[in-house]
Amino acid sequence: MADKKQSKKAGSEAAEIRKPVGAVMVVGGGVGGIQASLELANMGYKVYLADSSPSVGGVMGMLDKTFPTNECSMCILSPKMVEVASNINIEVITLADVLSVEGEVGDMRVKLRIRPRYVDIGKCTGCGDCTAKCPVKIPDPYNAGLDTTRCIRVPFPQAVPGAAVIDPEVCRWLTKEKCGNCVKVCQAGAVDFDQKEREETFQVGMVIAAPGYRPFDAGRKTEYGYGVNQNVVTSLEFERILGANGPTQGHVVRPSDGEEVKKLAFVQCVGSRDTTVGNGYCSSVCCMYATKQALIAKEHLPGIEPTIFFIDMRAYGKDFEKYYTAAESRHGVRYVRGLISGIRERQRTKNLLLRYADEAGCTQEEEFDLVVLSIGLEAPCGLKEGLGLEVNEYGFAEADPFLPVLSSRPGVLVCGAAQEPRDIPDTVTQATAAAGIASQALHGARNTLLTRREHPPEKDVGGEEPRVGAIICRCGSNIGGFVDVPAVVEYAKELPGVVWAEERLYACSQDAQDWIRQVVEENGLNRLVVASCTPRTHQPLFRETLQSAGVNKYLFEMANIREHCSWVHMQEPENATRKAQYLVKMAVEKARRLEPLVEGESGVIPRGLVIGGGVAGMNAALNLAASGFQVYLVEKEDELGGLARNIHFNLKGEDVQAYVKELADRVEREELITAFTAHEIVDVGGFVGQFKTLIRDAEGRETLLEHGAVIVATGGGQYQPTEYLRGEDGRVLTQWELEKRIAEKDPALADVERVVMIQCVGSREEERPYCSKVCCTEAAKNALALKELSPRTEVFVLYRDVRTYGFREDIYREAREAGVVFSRFDDDVRPDVRDVAGTLQVRVPDANLAGEMVVLNTDLVVLSTGITANPDNAALAPMLKVPRNAEGFFLEAHMKLRPVDFATDGVFVCGLAHAPKSIEESVSQAAAAAARAESILSKDKIVTEGVVAVVDADKCSGCGICLQLCPFEAVTYDEEKKVAVVNTSLCKGCGTCTAACTAGASRLQGFRSDQIFEQIEAAASAWRE
Amino acid sequence: MSDLKTIVKEKLAGGADAFLCLKNEEGTVLPALITDADSPDLEFVDVGESRYPLGRILIDLQREYPDKRFAVLVRGCDERALIELSKLEQIDLDRLVMVGVACSTEEAEACGCPRPYPGDIALGEKVEAAPGREVIDEVESLGDAERLGWWKEQFSRCIKCYGCRNICPMCFCKDCALENPHLVEPGVIPPDFPSFHIIRALDMTGRCIDCGLCEEACPADIPLRSLYRKMQDIMEDKLEYRAGGSVEEKNPLSFLGTEHDIEKLEQE
Amino acid sequence: MAEESKKNDEEDIRILAFLCNWCSYAGADLAGVSRFQYPPNVLDVRVMCTGTISPYFVIKAFQEGMDGVLIAGCHIGDCHYLKGNYMTAKRFQVLREALKFLGLEEGRLRLEWVSAAEGEKYADVIRSFTEEVKALGPSPLRGKKAAKAEVGA
Repeated sequence: MADKKQSKKAGSEAAEIRKPVGAVMVVGGGVGGIQASLELANMGYKVYLADSSPSVGGVMGMLDKTFPTNECSMCILSPKMVEVASNINIEVITLADVLSVEGEVGDMRVKLRIRPRYVDIGKCTGCGDCTAKCPVKIPDPYNAGLDTTRCIRVPFPQAVPGAAVIDPEVCRWLTKEKCGNCVKVCQAGAVDFDQKEREETFQVGMVIAAPGYRPFDAGRKTEYGYGVNQNVVTSLEFERILGANGPTQGHVVRPSDGEEVKKLAFVQCVGSRDTTVGNGYCSSVCCMYATKQALIAKEHLPGIEPTIFFIDMRAYGKDFEKYYTAAESRHGVRYVRGLISGIRERQRTKNLLLRYADEAGCTQEEEFDLVVLSIGLEAPCGLKEGLGLEVNEYGFAEADPFLPVLSSRPGVLVCGAAQEPRDIPDTVTQATAAAGIASQALHGARNTLLTRREHPPEKDVGGEEPRVGAIICRCGSNIGGFVDVPAVVEYAKELPGVVWAEERLYACSQDAQDWIRQVVEENGLNRLVVASCTPRTHQPLFRETLQSAGVNKYLFEMANIREHCSWVHMQEPENATRKAQYLVKMAVEKARRLEPLVEGESGVIPRGLVIGGGVAGMNAALNLAASGFQVYLVEKEDELGGLARNIHFNLKGEDVQAYVKELADRVEREELITAFTAHEIVDVGGFVGQFKTLIRDAEGRETLLEHGAVIVATGGGQYQPTEYLRGEDGRVLTQWELEKRIAEKDPALADVERVVMIQCVGSREEERPYCSKVCCTEAAKNALALKELSPRTEVFVLYRDVRTYGFREDIYREAREAGVVFSRFDDDVRPDVRDVAGTLQVRVPDANLAGEMVVLNTDLVVLSTGITANPDNAALAPMLKVPRNAEGFFLEAHMKLRPVDFATDGVFVCGLAHAPKSIEESVSQAAAAAARAESILSKDKIVTEGVVAVVDADKCSGCGICLQLCPFEAVTYDEEKKVAVVNTSLCKGCGTCTAACTAGASRLQGFRSDQIFEQIEAAASAWRE
Repeated sequence: MSDLKTIVKEKLAGGADAFLCLKNEEGTVLPALITDADSPDLEFVDVGESRYPLGRILIDLQREYPDKRFAVLVRGCDERALIELSKLEQIDLDRLVMVGVACSTEEAEACGCPRPYPGDIALGEKVEAAPGREVIDEVESLGDAERLGWWKEQFSRCIKCYGCRNICPMCFCKDCALENPHLVEPGVIPPDFPSFHIIRALDMTGRCIDCGLCEEACPADIPLRSLYRKMQDIMEDKLEYRAGGSVEEKNPLSFLGTEHDIEKLEQE
Repeated sequence: MAEESKKNDEEDIRILAFLCNWCSYAGADLAGVSRFQYPPNVLDVRVMCTGTISPYFVIKAFQEGMDGVLIAGCHIGDCHYLKGNYMTAKRFQVLREALKFLGLEEGRLRLEWVSAAEGEKYADVIRSFTEEVKALGPSPLRGKKAAKAEVGA
């Protein structure tokens, strides 16, 4: 709590005393660091993003797929990495470690040690010529050492920065002053052996630590023989094996002999839930990633038989349970409960014998071809030394119990796995939250350190004939070595509309940009074509240059003659040259039809609306207010507090009721927040930046609220059981009722001889096929509290899987140590609760005792009831134009990377409205949702991309198909004119609607059909030449 | 026909502001909009044998008179067209009273309509007919090259009169892809093979209600109806939709759907 | 150049590929970065999403004499725009059957889901599609416009 007050203080008083520094140092360039950086830059702060490795991307960049959607990891991460690379307000500092952090909130100094790369990032184009000539092979770190790369190399294809790096330990020049091939071959002169390690201090207002985690060293569990047995690999190594971009291109083969794998075993909890290696905690992600890897392996090799050996299946997150059950029942993944005690390698076959104790306690042995060790997550280095944070017994950053992004040190926020093992969406949520909290302290200095690119006024080229300029890039020898570049230039010069064409060694180099500006001006060019590499990484740069020459940046087209030509036709220079010419022709023909596009602008009402006044909603409102924004908080009940009013203490014994009350008091005191209790939402209109929401009180009085963003925090409910004699027998309680009695120190509890708790009441059932996430922890917490209150009371917990993920595992262990008995029952049975002549009796077949029936006479039965979706969501969803899932919870825009966003811009979600979760998770999500809302509210106007759909009202017949084809609700219907209208503030430019318009009334700017027809004609006519 | 006359009067008395039907004035069949019971046109109203896409007129009428209720004489095909047009926001069924006519046996057989009667029949007797599949069967019995040749020969007769489009009850675009110079080269007859005809076939997919007016209108006797009928078969087979059915059913090409739908589609 | 290209006209298969920016274009980029070699007879058109690919584009490509047309986009569920590729999947079904009914060989039109990480898959797709189209030979619709004068060419 102390921390929170400090950050609040930082947000108000400090800002008044002296203007804070409007910059933030983000430490760690994994998905958390990337997210925090993008958010901060977007909110108006300068960002330094430091990573100890040569590229951002972190572990996520190495993953093949992500659970529970099996989505391609790189596909979703690399656009974010490109965004980081092209954002001028994010300075990426690689090979950097934090030496020290000094100062106060708002004014901090971070000293970094920056190791030499030996390659000038400004000059290196990532062409790879040096790698081809480097004689030193090293194990490729990107592929977890499963194959080799060269000492000088671009870390991986999508690396940011996309520049080469030299490993100084093995470089021949640096170790023996021999070789120097790279210097010779680099036509850009980027290799620089004179670079020295240096220290640099950065002045920032806040620090966000997102250093991620260290994978557990599997070699420490000697019984598994990792490093000795060839066919025992870690899960991270297996991830690379599965990767289509990995060492085996996704073929599931064994390291020992390259044979396809038939029997595959996953060993769970390697380095987790294991006090023998000092890791008493659960690593939170391994059950799901093993399930994912088993599924993907099966996808690649349908005949493979994967078995997962586990203790408890911790499928606790949103949609995890469904993922797990589908894996088992539909996709043939075998789950075996049992801890592997040893692995033996067969000498001849290199197969592996796994020894384990089955559920009946008998020792079993089974043979497998390949064993994957599901290694846990350990705390990263440098939290204590460099960043000066306090750490817990496991080395993870100590954090505020209610808002875990607050570290022990004011001014340093922590997010992601450095604080507790967590998955990608939780990391992204925390990173976003951290950005928002940082902004609360720094908003007085918003936009003060931002670099804005100033451009000369745009020339009006409207009436002009197209004058196309074409630059053909050699990319050193990458294009020039395989494509006859002068021949392409000559060909380009002859194309209609081309008034100027030249080649260039590196079109992307800094000096080339000045040159481009010059030739555009000298030749009066009004269209530019660059034939070089992929527009996905380089289009922003060239557009920027064109803009700086006073030409609309959309009058630009690229021909990808490197990735799509010279590099893939290296043996056929003639054909490659011809193809390059054709690609240039296509680009020129499109360029001739390009028109200047105007980026749309719409105003922003700098106020937020929060729907729901529970813990999530109050936090969201308070966070927005702390960043200086007005907030409307609408709660349907008479008082604030929501579901948390039923919870009395948390894991660490903190008083939850006091916390809720303090929140409500702060909301009341906060002048920027207007709370409307006992109000319901009647209607929501408008769109991002300009919403109009009608609310109504019990007397029917209506109020219209105008605001720029919406945060949905409608909370959830508690499952109301009728089973287990609930409602019939007063001795059958819910956990909340028990908790209340414990909190009130009910003297009657001391006389209770025995309590039986039943888990999964209303959860993981057919009707609600999801895990409620909190009940296992709740039961362990209450069992332990009961034991503390009355040590002689016997407590039994009947469970299916104990899902005490992360540090919650500690309380599970403590409960067992205190004598609480955990007894497991199978998924297909339920305990039987009955009244036998006045005695409350629970009967259950104990799965850990081979199904032996256990009969417990008890004083109390406590039901761990699940969390349900708020039924009000059904009415709210269509008003906000946002979707819900089958269980009635709101469905976010993207499970992994947009955990608090909706596809509809300007609408965000947090708390139980999204899915069951703990209080601290709700609070983090609320802070993240507030940060996302702030990224809109902090802007004067919303600027939209030029590539959007537009509807020509004269041609539109109003059939309405395009309306329904928009995933972003960007198309509306003008009832008066009977035509479709695109709201360019919401349009993302996919063009799905345009393809359905047979009249051609709906068009995607920059990708109009006539432009594409011209490209097709150009391709065809080129071939016919 | 006295029956129709009575019905027109009834509807005009019962809340319809106008009745749209056909009249036969000395052998000349024309659409007629009757607004009151004294209209001289009333004498000439006729179910007759002629067919006309009255829906095309209705679209304009409803737009022009948003407060008026119209009654309209419909055959099975007209009803299907109006249903499909309502899904495309061209017709407001709430402001429309349909008076159904069942086609006679001779009409039904001559036309080859899949359902020669509307939902509610006010006039005539319901008869069933079997839509002809001869052309489709013939084409499908051919190999790829022969098929292409067969169609090429058929389409080579096209004089690009646009009759098929102009008569089509389902065509309402203000700008037609058939006149897009990128797709169909202007001034060339016969039009580009096969783009002209396949563009129309694709536009008709999930939309054509199989009235056959196009084929009737075609001066070159191109078996257009079979082409479009096949497109509807494809639509039903792949996406489980046939145009002109119930008002509730949505054309899968007009909404995004769920991941489950697509997975199912891909597995087939 | 013109003389050279004409000599192996029969051998030269012309394929046009429509690639979505976020997955398949990136997959093709990765094939390049990884130096996976594939036949040079494919020219690609970048679109933001396969959902923007109107059936007209495909018709136009065949009309212009392409021997094969490839549409490649994000795997279902991976679409950058959430559901754009749903429409691609549906439209493709109709288009393929329509072309089949007209007598254009089925193998000339292909839909593939290629992710940003599937560089090898992209190369494989181009290789196998080229083989398939080569086996079918030049498109029967080719040559219609060959005689037409090319402006500026």
